[in-house]
Amino acid sequence: MVAEVEERVVPHEPGAHENVSARWRLATFFLALPSLVVFVGLGFIPLALVVTWSFWSFDPDTYWIKPAWSLASYAALLENGRATVFLRTAGLAALTATASTLLAVPAATVVCLLSRPRRAALLLALFTIPFFTSGLVRAFAWRLVLGRQGVVNNALMSLGVVQTPVEWLLFSDFAVVLGMVAAYLPFAIIPIVLVFGRIEYSVIRASQDLGAGFWTMFSTIVLPLVMPGIVASFLFVFIVAVGTSMEIQLLGGAGASSISIMINDVLRVVNFPLAFAIATVVVTLLIVLVIVANRALRLSRLFESLGV
Amino acid sequence: MSFDLIVAGRSSGGRLLFTTITALCLTIMYAPVLYLLLASLNPDAQLGLVPPSRYSLTWYFALLEDRRLAGALEESALVGLATAALATPIGLSAALAYRAMTRMRGIFLLVVLSAMFVPGTIEGLGLSATLRLVGLTPSWVTITIGHLLWTLPFAAVVSLIGLSTVKQITIAAARDLGAGPMRAFIDITLPLMRANLISSFVLAFLLSLNEHARAYYLVGRQNTLPLYMFGAMNSGASPTIYAFSGAVIVICVAVVALVFAGLAEQPGEAREGRRARPG
Repeated sequence: MVAEVEERVVPHEPGAHENVSARWRLATFFLALPSLVVFVGLGFIPLALVVTWSFWSFDPDTYWIKPAWSLASYAALLENGRATVFLRTAGLAALTATASTLLAVPAATVVCLLSRPRRAALLLALFTIPFFTSGLVRAFAWRLVLGRQGVVNNALMSLGVVQTPVEWLLFSDFAVVLGMVAAYLPFAIIPIVLVFGRIEYSVIRASQDLGAGFWTMFSTIVLPLVMPGIVASFLFVFIVAVGTSMEIQLLGGAGASSISIMINDVLRVVNFPLAFAIATVVVTLLIVLVIVANRALRLSRLFESLGV
Repeated sequence: MSFDLIVAGRSSGGRLLFTTITALCLTIMYAPVLYLLLASLNPDAQLGLVPPSRYSLTWYFALLEDRRLAGALEESALVGLATAALATPIGLSAALAYRAMTRMRGIFLLVVLSAMFVPGTIEGLGLSATLRLVGLTPSWVTITIGHLLWTLPFAAVVSLIGLSTVKQITIAAARDLGAGPMRAFIDITLPLMRANLISSFVLAFLLSLNEHARAYYLVGRQNTLPLYMFGAMNSGASPTIYAFSGAVIVICVAVVALVFAGLAEQPGEAREGRRARPG
């Protein structure tokens, strides 16, 4: 960035320009190097190894793996109801993402269109803060609210709505989805807020000058403009919800599983190749999803409204 | 972004609905934790709320006696500080690189952000197997490595936002006055980004402190806080776990609120304005 200025200062001296831009590229490379080492060395290489090792076989002598190529792990993916766990995880994640997005669109609209700057900043802070607090505690707190003697059941019983505690509130898919929606709302709201930042507000003003009411303005102007944010918001929540395990472990019913829990279980019996195969399938699907969405929506542009 | 026009009277039905939904969002995000906090002040062993006159910190004091908790706290603090100390400068360097780039920008940003979206379990699994291959025994070092990967995207984004508030013209002025690129960076860019760098450090620390899925795979003999808490939550909850959860939430919320207030108080333009004035 320093060099960028330099380039602007001396743009018309060809010799100097060449020299500067070579130095600039070198400086950029060295600035990018540490983060590339982290993301490639600690991110991509382990993932590539996981993919490779998923085609190896279990070695009973070392309780590890040996380089005997095999597709056995992928065949095992379809056994013992593992395919069902995949589908259930994806289903719960899709439900969570749908609910989060439906809540996030109005919430982001309130933040960006219907609030004065001070309140908008406060709301945005309130929506972001929980992300940096313990997800474990936030999931655990639902137990006190939804349990047999929790707030909800006590209220329902004292109001006479029900005679006995409602059982499906806790340790159920309902609790899991509610816990995940509450936990991942920041992921749903932020992308939409970022897209709002790129809207030309005079367009909205024009629609109002032309007599559009709230709903006409919202459905014909705002919704189409923030659509990339809405899709990103669904996608972000879906991806995070597919990967999580603690909401299901703390709030799910007996025997409830998810992909992450399945990986943990498979590792407990040291079936490394199978764990790697599950991970490979999940990561492949997520990468395809992100690439398709990025092609369609230029997701990386979302961050442009941050002014970066 | 103030948009008074849309606050027009005839739109009240839609506005009311949207405001209600926003309130609902905030309720499901905050109410359970708030309830947990109040329940943790109940001195009885039985769960539930008590009138404010009976509030007590009994269970909080009981925490002080817990040796295993102290060990986990120490481990988490060590990992969190090491993670933040690495993520902040590397994130800043990534942000500077991004700003200097022309063609590879999009790809670089995608690489930086991609780590946010790989499930923690899978990242932990891959890293633990890889680090085992390299011969690294699980310890606070391996957890720090995993947490660096998890927090770096966030640190880079916070630094990027900070950099965007530094006006090119301010740096150009320093350069015109004879400062070398390094001088300009140290004297102009860094001080202007101070609030963001502090945020980057604190947020990376908090993300590490609360991380569970990766630590599960990378942990050595000493548990971190979330691992300890997860065990306590699933083994017949004693009231101390409510107190402990309450303490964690209060501290995290207070710290993030302070960071956000610090960021909001000094928007880039104002800072630059103040600095530009002589004396």
